[in-house]
Amino acid sequence: MSVDLNKVRNIGISAHIDSGKTTLTERILFYTDRIHAIHDVRGKDGVGAKMDSMELERERGITIQSAATFCNWKGNDINIIDTPGHVDFTIEVERALRVLDGAVLVLCSVGGVQSQSITVNRQMTRYKVPRIAFINKCDRTGANPERVTAQLREKLALNAHMVQVPIGLENDLVGVVDLITMKALYFDGDNGEIVREDVIPADLQVKCAEKREELLEAVSMFSDELMEVMLEEGEINPALIHAAVRKGTLALEFTAVFVGSAYKNKAVQPMLDGVNAYLPCPTDVENMALDLDNEEKEFKVTNDPADPLIMLAFKLEDGRYGQLTYVRTYQGKVTKGDTIVNSRTGKKVKVGRLCRMHSDEMEDIDGCGSGDIVALFGIDCASGDTFTTGEISCSMSSMHIPEPVISLAIIPVDNKAQINMSKALNRFTKEDPTFRTFVDHETSETIISGMGELHLEVYVERMKREYNAEVTVGAPQVAYRETITARAEFNYTHKKQTGGSGQFGRVAGYMEPYEEGEYEFVDAIVGGVIPREFISSCDKGFQKSLVKGSLCGSAVTGVRCVINDGSYHTVDSSDVAFQLAAIGAFKEGYMKAKPVIMEPIMKVSVEGPTEFQGSIMGSINQRRGMIIGTMEEGNYTVVEADVPLSEMFGYSTILRSLTQGKAEFTMEFSAFRQVPKGVNDELIKKYQAEKKNG
Amino acid sequence: MGKKNLVMNNPLRVLGLEKKVQEKGAGMGLVMASAGLGKTAILVQIALDSMLWGDKVLHVSIGEGFDKTRAWYDDILALMAVGEKSESFHSTVAEIMPNRMIMTFKEAGFNQAKLEERLDDLVQQNIYKPVCLIIDGYDFSAGNHADLEEFKEFMVRHGLKMIWFSATTHRDDDRRSAAGVPAPCHEIDDLFDVVLLIAPKDEAVNLKIIKCNNCAVDPGTSLTLDPSTMLIQKG
Repeated sequence: MSVDLNKVRNIGISAHIDSGKTTLTERILFYTDRIHAIHDVRGKDGVGAKMDSMELERERGITIQSAATFCNWKGNDINIIDTPGHVDFTIEVERALRVLDGAVLVLCSVGGVQSQSITVNRQMTRYKVPRIAFINKCDRTGANPERVTAQLREKLALNAHMVQVPIGLENDLVGVVDLITMKALYFDGDNGEIVREDVIPADLQVKCAEKREELLEAVSMFSDELMEVMLEEGEINPALIHAAVRKGTLALEFTAVFVGSAYKNKAVQPMLDGVNAYLPCPTDVENMALDLDNEEKEFKVTNDPADPLIMLAFKLEDGRYGQLTYVRTYQGKVTKGDTIVNSRTGKKVKVGRLCRMHSDEMEDIDGCGSGDIVALFGIDCASGDTFTTGEISCSMSSMHIPEPVISLAIIPVDNKAQINMSKALNRFTKEDPTFRTFVDHETSETIISGMGELHLEVYVERMKREYNAEVTVGAPQVAYRETITARAEFNYTHKKQTGGSGQFGRVAGYMEPYEEGEYEFVDAIVGGVIPREFISSCDKGFQKSLVKGSLCGSAVTGVRCVINDGSYHTVDSSDVAFQLAAIGAFKEGYMKAKPVIMEPIMKVSVEGPTEFQGSIMGSINQRRGMIIGTMEEGNYTVVEADVPLSEMFGYSTILRSLTQGKAEFTMEFSAFRQVPKGVNDELIKKYQAEKKNG
Repeated sequence: MGKKNLVMNNPLRVLGLEKKVQEKGAGMGLVMASAGLGKTAILVQIALDSMLWGDKVLHVSIGEGFDKTRAWYDDILALMAVGEKSESFHSTVAEIMPNRMIMTFKEAGFNQAKLEERLDDLVQQNIYKPVCLIIDGYDFSAGNHADLEEFKEFMVRHGLKMIWFSATTHRDDDRRSAAGVPAPCHEIDDLFDVVLLIAPKDEAVNLKIIKCNNCAVDPGTSLTLDPSTMLIQKG
């Protein structure tokens, strides 16, 4: 169990796809003696990198699911979450950032700051995660870490400064110069495991002196003592510079830039030194919890192991040994055999087994303390649940979970596939809150929905590979919504007399737009005109009506239903009768309440050479996109726009052909917005035709 | 709330200029102040007024990032939202947002020809045709009379009703034109129809009208800005 929290680092490794962060993690594990052989992401040995434990990840060379691992570097315990690089898996990145104290932003020395780096940086800023940068792939042709550092300043608005200078670049990369100690570092041995210090090569001395001067000028802002020494032109103790860099990093006002090549085993160890020296320990970060006994008032967690336990479950996995729950402890401690309480459900559970995760392998431990990230076995909970020992009732701030925006129908090819598909879906939905599934009762098709085409594609692939569930896939469908725009009255009587006991219920009231949430039911019945026991039946009936709107068959949201009158029959009124009355009342009021169709709008960011700016803007305009702005920086331009998701299918191909493959885009969900009249009419027509054809 | 009433205390309305802008355009305007005194806040309020009139605004920001420029609008709108009914306020804001486009340039990469090239891209493809141009961050110390004249012609070519610039004054530079326009715009003040100067006075901040052709208020008049929000003080 970690006791000294100053020696704990919870870090994430985040970056644009293919920046080499999985390779970097692999080298970290190797240099910290967690693994004893190096396997490349797309290695010829067919083993794949340690952290890419999913077969699909190894094949595609991208990380889909983040894995947690633990290592120790020079006496510090480092918990690492390797995070995915594709925007469709943003929930994985966000969940990791929520529980981490610091991060390493990995960049490609050729590609520089790319679109996903911007998204990841935005997320890091949202969660106030201090970061250092590692400019990887300095061995590649066209490597230019200085340009990338300038981009960090310009594009990400980070106060980024190199703390190292590469010795040679591209094929000539042999080591780095540490600008703080002013020593050259070389990486000897078969796998670069021996770090050798030497004097700075003569041809780099002037450049290094200049760069050091720049660095000192930037970090002296965070240390009066350093500034004083500089003004007095005295000898500067490296410890003083380290302290200033750390202060700036923790304040989110400085980003130290490391350089190297993980693939070529160059300069990973100094970056790890940077993690130890500059990234925060759990006590450096302020984490807030909500007091459930005091109107969810925020309070700061203490990080003190002696205080009552507060622990957040941030990720679930259904593995070989049952449900595996990744938790971060914010204060207190937990040991094997302890009983803990789930704040959301109030249920008590016993901690049977705890372990540290090392990708898909694990190491049993007896307990964990404040600041730790570990996994628990056999705990039934949902992602985002908070555990305590029951002395306090609190919840960690809820995590931002975006709504799914795209769906597609999947049809199992045979009975066996049907059974396997159910098992797979059950597991995936528990693991990933942005992945949802339901059965369309009209078509009897299973619908899966998520955050993008690739997101769903990966789950379909996983079904096939991990569960042997062969499915045929329908065309992707946009998740439209319906809502009302006006208040409308209803007064509906459900009456059925077919021999035996009949059905009777009358429901009257009104419905109106409800902007604060998805649905609200208000019982304004006085004088018992609808008996108490049937009030909930009315609510149920309205909720059933929300599942499928009558315009295009999409879910209805943003509706407040108020009942203020009704009548009943002592014999014929029942739960079912009032549910049916409410369904009828909803139908009656709905069309009068001026319903509209809403569509998901994506925040799209297209980045490409300036010469193609006109074509890019034209392509967005053709897709009913609203250009919010353009950002011209040297030879490239970023165009930011809001575009309906329905118009974005196949955009990558169009963009490639428009820009000779030189532009790329990212998108994330922004909001639901009313569709234009033409689209509205078309969707209604299509839905009516579908209904007619059964 | 009607959208026309959203910005009652907008600088253009207080100056009595908004009708003239709507009728036939009002030429070039200039907001001057020392660094950090709120020029962008005033420009954004002017832009919002145009947007509320249904006019398309192109906000050109030189040397500032896209997110920072957008944040100015979000902040000013958030201040205006205080005390308003949230439902109708938000729907008005959503309605006027398509009337704004932001374009950012690096200081070194900006000139009138480049702006025209970008604008042509937008207009020719029928993507966006602004009638009000905001140019925030233009370097007047590097520009001369002829450069600014180009903008006048540019305005006519593109059917713009107004171009608003911001210019940074320096405390140690006391050069002024006869009309009282401070450096660095003292030699080109004839090109501007409106010149406003933000000047701190004791605890308050004043918006001085140095020059205003066809304004409802006389030059020399000062409006008081709320220093915490940079909105014109009500009443």
